[in-house]
Amino acid sequence: MMRRSLRPQAEGYMLLLPALVVYLIFAFYPMIDVIRQSFSEWNGLDAQSRFVGWNNYRVVLTQDPVFWGALVNTVLWTLAAITLPNLIAFGLALALNQSLPARGTLRAIFYLPVIIASIAVATIWRWMYDPFFGLFNSLLTEWGMSGWIQDWLGNRKLALWSVFVAHLWSSVGFSMVLFLAGLQGVSQTLIEAARIDGAGRYAVFRHVTLPALGPTITIVLVLSLINSLKAFDIVYGMTGGGPAQSTQMLAMWAYTQAMQLGSFGRGAAVSVILLIITLVIVIPYLRWTLRRSTT
Amino acid sequence: MQGCRALRTTLSTLAVMAGMSGGAAAQELTVWTLTGAVEAENAAWAQIIEEFEAANPGVTIRIEQRSVDEHKAALRVAARSDQGPDIYFMWAGLGLGGEFVQAGLSAPLDAYYEQYGWEDRLLPSAMGFTTAFTEERHGVPYSFAGEAVYYNKALFEQAGITAEPQTYEELKAAADALKAAGIPAFTFGGTVNWHLMRLMDVILETKCGAETHDALKAMTADWTTTPCAVESFAELADWSANHILSPFMGIDQAQSFNLFLANRAAMMLEGDWLVGQISQAAPIEGFDLFIFPTGTGRLYGFAEYLYISSRSEHPDLAAKFLDYLLSDEVQQRHLGAFGAISVNRNVEYQDVGDAEQQWLDIFADHSEIFVNGDQAFPLDVTTEYFRVINEVAQGNMTPEEGAAAMQSFIVNRG
Repeated sequence: MMRRSLRPQAEGYMLLLPALVVYLIFAFYPMIDVIRQSFSEWNGLDAQSRFVGWNNYRVVLTQDPVFWGALVNTVLWTLAAITLPNLIAFGLALALNQSLPARGTLRAIFYLPVIIASIAVATIWRWMYDPFFGLFNSLLTEWGMSGWIQDWLGNRKLALWSVFVAHLWSSVGFSMVLFLAGLQGVSQTLIEAARIDGAGRYAVFRHVTLPALGPTITIVLVLSLINSLKAFDIVYGMTGGGPAQSTQMLAMWAYTQAMQLGSFGRGAAVSVILLIITLVIVIPYLRWTLRRSTT
Repeated sequence: MQGCRALRTTLSTLAVMAGMSGGAAAQELTVWTLTGAVEAENAAWAQIIEEFEAANPGVTIRIEQRSVDEHKAALRVAARSDQGPDIYFMWAGLGLGGEFVQAGLSAPLDAYYEQYGWEDRLLPSAMGFTTAFTEERHGVPYSFAGEAVYYNKALFEQAGITAEPQTYEELKAAADALKAAGIPAFTFGGTVNWHLMRLMDVILETKCGAETHDALKAMTADWTTTPCAVESFAELADWSANHILSPFMGIDQAQSFNLFLANRAAMMLEGDWLVGQISQAAPIEGFDLFIFPTGTGRLYGFAEYLYISSRSEHPDLAAKFLDYLLSDEVQQRHLGAFGAISVNRNVEYQDVGDAEQQWLDIFADHSEIFVNGDQAFPLDVTTEYFRVINEVAQGNMTPEEGAAAMQSFIVNRG
């Protein structure tokens, strides 16, 4: 008896189907529903929501005393998060790609913070920042630098950047590993050929290593960008958006509006604005990098 | 055909049997509440449930305990589903329990109040919120808390303060004396917004008086044209700049309490529950308390309620369970587990300490209360109230700007 086998394409679709169904139910449908909710008013308790047109967007953009601060924080955080941690990670990857003694151990040490849950990172750093008993102020006192003592998480000028330092500590390892993987994929033959042609260390790095790392850099930047725009857990764990909402971020403000204040429409509107910002930044960048790599 | 008929008969029989077994017994009640603040509270719940189940064969009570924010979020998510609780805990103010009552998610309990005689059994002051939002009665009081100023006797003595302040002016004079002695008057934790809010609440009560304070909180008075509102923000700024242990915006209430125990500040504005917490950590004799001298004669406090969900399939059983929980015998046996005082007026207090007795006297002396701002306002206004308080306390907003921000938010929300 002959058994008919599926064409490879059909087989591919069959294998994709379960994942696609899960994706449609748990990712695509909620996304569409959030857009619908952003045009309605619902407190989570009433039986029905009420269609309010663009009102949620109008209120969020013109009357919400927190939204613009959260937007500015999100932009600043994103700019910092795609540059500083990645530059440090790149430097670490270059260093740890050399033949160093205890290289494996050092890699593990720098990667370790990545495996700690964000909320645990927040707790650790909150204690270190404690203005009375924390590590930083204790060290400053011990070193005779009492004038430098700060309310790291209570001063609105410092709080966001204090949280960012904790984020930097916990995220550098992830980018470092990606860069390391990229560096190990750089062809040794090309490097040796360049050296034979008389290229120095900088020239090899600039004209061989860096171009070969292009796809890795793209991935790292896109992941950093997306993660930064949706920054939530570490800020929530360290300051909860305070003091006086000065460390509030768009993703957290959307959650606060919906889940804590029961204003699902406004929360959805903030989410949609965040989604649009993300798409506006990420899609052109991805298209540009794809076009470059195809060329 | 015959096979189909046999299958239908079998299925029908099974369905009837299943229905009989389910109807005759197996009633399940779900209770959603907070994780107990002290172990005694969790133990009391476990024992009460065990006893009730033993006395009512076939009844199972499933209790789900969560932290504050998780509890609020879970209740909101489950509000319109059939997966919610039969009985739920909530603070009784407008922005919390009141919102659920107004949304029709709490079952009216008038019939049960009459059936079980709860009105005669419960403290009138604790029952104040049962009819606050509708004409029907909703919820039963679970605990009732008052808030006052705890002070460190040794630090008061060190600053030469010989008597407890009886007026706001005397309190400010005491704060000045403490400052002169190098002692911060109060300690607060700014990360939990509700802690510093307490100071603003009592200042508003002091500066505005009961009626105007209530009007401001009810959002019927204009914050910008009511002079005492601006004056209160100015007072808050003064307390923050001169009389609160700094820095305070980066610490929470628990850290603030530890600093209070470590003699770093002289006073703390806390609830009756602090008596137990101090007793566990330090000799209680070193501390005393007085009511914040607002001059209105009202006690600062709040109530926590248990509500029966309007979606409960077993409201009678839920009421029966609440009746057992509120009974004289259970409340007497678990005295202190749910709060310093019981909501049951028949409970007798014997061998209580000085501080507990002081609270009992305070509750007996006060017939009127004013509630915490986060219970008086709707949730969104509470969030803005927190923000404005923190901005004024940090000197980032002037008192006038604070009042204007509050009024602008209230006007915009319509």
